[in-house]
Amino acid sequence: MSNDALGAGLTALLAACARREQAALSRLYELSAPKLFGVALRIVRREDWAEDVLQECYLRIWNHAPQYRAGLATPMTWMTSIVRNRCLDWLRRPRLEVSDEDGALTDSAEGAGEGPLALLERSDEAAGIARCLKGLEPRQRQAIMLAFYDGMSHSELASHLREPLGSVKTWVRRGLLRLKACLEAR
Amino acid sequence: MNLRNRPELQDRLAAEYALGTLRGAARRNFERWMREDAANALAVSRWQAQLAPLDAGVVPVTPPARVWRAIRERLGEQGRAPGFWDSIALWRTLGLAASGAAAILLAVVLYLAPAAEAPASYFAVLSEPKSQKAVLVVSAGANSDQLWVRTLDPAIHVAGKSLELWALPRGGAPKSLGLVSREAQATLKLLAVADRSLADVPALAVSLEPGGGSRTGAPTGPVLFSGPCVKTW
Repeated sequence: MSNDALGAGLTALLAACARREQAALSRLYELSAPKLFGVALRIVRREDWAEDVLQECYLRIWNHAPQYRAGLATPMTWMTSIVRNRCLDWLRRPRLEVSDEDGALTDSAEGAGEGPLALLERSDEAAGIARCLKGLEPRQRQAIMLAFYDGMSHSELASHLREPLGSVKTWVRRGLLRLKACLEAR
Repeated sequence: MNLRNRPELQDRLAAEYALGTLRGAARRNFERWMREDAANALAVSRWQAQLAPLDAGVVPVTPPARVWRAIRERLGEQGRAPGFWDSIALWRTLGLAASGAAAILLAVVLYLAPAAEAPASYFAVLSEPKSQKAVLVVSAGANSDQLWVRTLDPAIHVAGKSLELWALPRGGAPKSLGLVSREAQATLKLLAVADRSLADVPALAVSLEPGGGSRTGAPTGPVLFSGPCVKTW
């Protein structure tokens, strides 16, 4: 299915969810859950947590489907932002347990190195943003990718990269500005 | 804060919100500004759309089947909720909600909603201290992060001001749960499921705040309504 066709299909399914048709949610889940689970898993780094997040997010999608506005965001963008938000909230909880205790998920994420970038370059829709990302200074790119994919805050970036907080904030801010300029120039 | 006159700050905050680096109180504040001014929400939408292609860099992972089973079960629980709220409307017409102490209403809630069918497990009925008139019913399912807020009296709202709902944790400072909607029925999002966020909260209160809510993270205006918050089953 092309992305446009998928997008149109998801929009129709969200509209059906807004009419309280549970079968539509089931189909929406089939089509979108692997992507959203991938996003959540990468940020919260524990399978059981990612499962909880996913569960809550589909209930939220169901409950908020009437508020979805096709003109503002594609269905995938709307649903992904719900998952991202929920993951960031999740990470704010007091840490009673350790995320990714054995480091397996971190290793797989970091071991992949330029993993996301390589995937982006192979995707038609993302080729543009991949080129713009490559145009950033390496530190800016690294900070933005760790924030986006791994949900790192400024202070987490600073400790992960062993750099002063101020520098990290500057890289993120300047990186975003350059990214925007590049995307808008296309 | 009016960000309309500060487009660069608005753009920066929207970008960091979409990227995820805007955190904690700053994130909450910005979410409030998004609700207050659609221009802020629009700026975030634009950034989310610009960053969205990055999602192609995430490897999809099929979740275990138990996730969908749990969603379906919880949908079933939710499906029973409207009947429950309908019955609140019924008591209201009977004059029960408006007549007596919050405790009476709570007793009725407990009586009418047998455990097996109960969608909600945490309940609070907030009333006006002088008249004892119940004005808000708040509830949440134990494993849900959705807080249902039912306004029994629309006249409680004050033009230009906001009503902010607070959790009053045992031995801790009040925690904002969000603004009371002007709709008769609305939901607020808890930071964690009710069993985590309301377990140690014996009471809720509503304070009168500037439009958009308290700027400080603590109640700044008078407390207008309050009531006990109990776990019923």
